[in-house]
Amino acid sequence: MTASNGIIDPQKKNPDEMFIGWAPAPSVDRRFLLAALPAGLAASAGASWLIANELDDPGAGAWLTNATHQVTGVLANHPYPMIRLADPKAPFGMRTVLVVAQGKCTSDLTLSEVTGQIVKASGVLVQRKERQMLEVPLFLGDWLSVLDANVENAQALSAPETESLGQAQLAGTIMDSKCFFGVMKPSLGKTHKACASLCIRGGIPPSFWARTRDGRESVLLMTDAQGGPMPMDILPLVADPVTAQGEIVRVGDILQFRADPGDYQRI
Amino acid sequence: MGHQYKAVQWNGNKIAYDLYTVAAVGVFITVFMAIGLQTQASGHVADPVILLIRALGVTAFAMLTIILAIGPLARLSPRLLPVLYNRRHLGVTTFLVASAHFGLALVWYHSSGPLNPFVSLFISNPLYDSIPGFPFESLGFVAFLILFVMAATSHDFWLNNLSAPVWKALHMLVYPAYALLVMHIVLGALMTEKSMLYPVMTGGAFLMVSGLHLYAGLREWRADNGMKLFKAKGWIDICAPMDIPDMRAVIAPLPKGDRVAVFRYGDKISAVTNACRHQNGPLGEGRVIDGCITCPWHGWQYRPDDGISPPPFTEKIATYNVKIENDRVFVDPKPNPPGTRTSPAIISMEGTPSG
Ligand code: FES
Repeated sequence: MTASNGIIDPQKKNPDEMFIGWAPAPSVDRRFLLAALPAGLAASAGASWLIANELDDPGAGAWLTNATHQVTGVLANHPYPMIRLADPKAPFGMRTVLVVAQGKCTSDLTLSEVTGQIVKASGVLVQRKERQMLEVPLFLGDWLSVLDANVENAQALSAPETESLGQAQLAGTIMDSKCFFGVMKPSLGKTHKACASLCIRGGIPPSFWARTRDGRESVLLMTDAQGGPMPMDILPLVADPVTAQGEIVRVGDILQFRADPGDYQRI
Repeated sequence: MGHQYKAVQWNGNKIAYDLYTVAAVGVFITVFMAIGLQTQASGHVADPVILLIRALGVTAFAMLTIILAIGPLARLSPRLLPVLYNRRHLGVTTFLVASAHFGLALVWYHSSGPLNPFVSLFISNPLYDSIPGFPFESLGFVAFLILFVMAATSHDFWLNNLSAPVWKALHMLVYPAYALLVMHIVLGALMTEKSMLYPVMTGGAFLMVSGLHLYAGLREWRADNGMKLFKAKGWIDICAPMDIPDMRAVIAPLPKGDRVAVFRYGDKISAVTNACRHQNGPLGEGRVIDGCITCPWHGWQYRPDDGISPPPFTEKIATYNVKIENDRVFVDPKPNPPGTRTSPAIISMEGTPSG
């Protein structure tokens, strides 16, 4: 037995030539690289294809940044900024368009002076199925003008019909309406949780995305138990699967889910 | 002292290496975006910014996995030395890709809100007391800081100014950074996406990196243990002179845990530390070129008898005294101060097999 039994003998692995960065590569390395380099690029493309192809569906919704969208209707500021417009084809003859500011700071919109007025507004439309939202600049003059003229059904638009549909136990997810309606896709799950929570903190209305076992979904505007804006205590529960006991109330064409933060439980 | 860094300056190999890295990253991100932006069967289309955030994150993690696998792999096959050669640039490119991932996520998810984006990063998800709910962003941020410090100190200037042990310790932080990134993925993307491919790939990458390191460590440990059988008091019996291939070395463990590289060049034998002055590359796996021991990692060179780099360089490594007795090579386990001239042991002709 010789001592070399226990020795790392580089010769067994290293053929005669050795690659040195500053010298021309030995032929054995050249041959290897000639095959390995294209293979590496192919592996990069293949792995990328595999990974990107398996991504979850990004979800519905659109952020129509290419066009300016105009609406004319009655502006309301409770529980969240919104404009209600007459639409004979829509259920209940009206359509509610939520209003949010650019970015994540909707609570900086100062709407008290124009609340209840008939306004013409222009902004970027965000739309998820039948739900609509208008994204506008912070400075009112840039997007809003108060109209002298009257609009059809102005009375019904400023004080829409309100009807309780009863108590319900719902399971689903708390979403920030802006990202959920189409500004971010995907807007689901834990990777979006911080963003959703930041948006709701900034005054973007929270939506409850309720799903039944057979896959039907319903999107409800979240308010506190009295129908006021949702308190910030809700933030830690955003984006997680939750259940809540609350009251479903129809206000015009919109369904509200009225429950206090304490009524929500993480599943 | 500027010339001390010259050994790893730009050269054709490095430029080709960097261009190739950029090409591979470009291919990955382009394919990712092209596939990810396709309209789904449902008619839904993903947001390009979010896709890009994901593509950059996946790329950075894949690159760090490759960087960590390359060290042990290059010991299994010298064909991978060309990848190891410029690993430092690969590291800096990884940091740049990680910065783009971090910057874009910070802007897209945390900016233009009611909080400072850096505050939002840490408090928008407050569930620090939950494991599945844990804010994965903070883990990614700490890993990013580590990558930043490593990239910022990657130049040899810092290696010299921080001293090799401090620099080495600093750069060992890449392992905690990698572990943090694995958790960043597990508690972030894997909690969001449904496909089983992602846990399989993340787990596979983690197991490969740990497996390769365990395997390489085990091999060295076995080799060290094998040598203990032959440890004598004082001088250490290494092997017969002709067991050492010409212009090459055998590596042997020393009682204090260091390793010595014993080189033969013609009829002379000299011993130096196995750790390269540059980044602790395994000198004993290199060879003698133009009369100098040449490190297999980045090609730094040292004269075998005094361990000093040939002029104009001035790097020094520790040498060991050697002697030949009864046709055996013996090494004195006490290292000489770096740059100490020793007299090579001469193989006498009687002791040499004819062929
Ligand atoms: S030349 Fe870089 S470690 Fe030896």
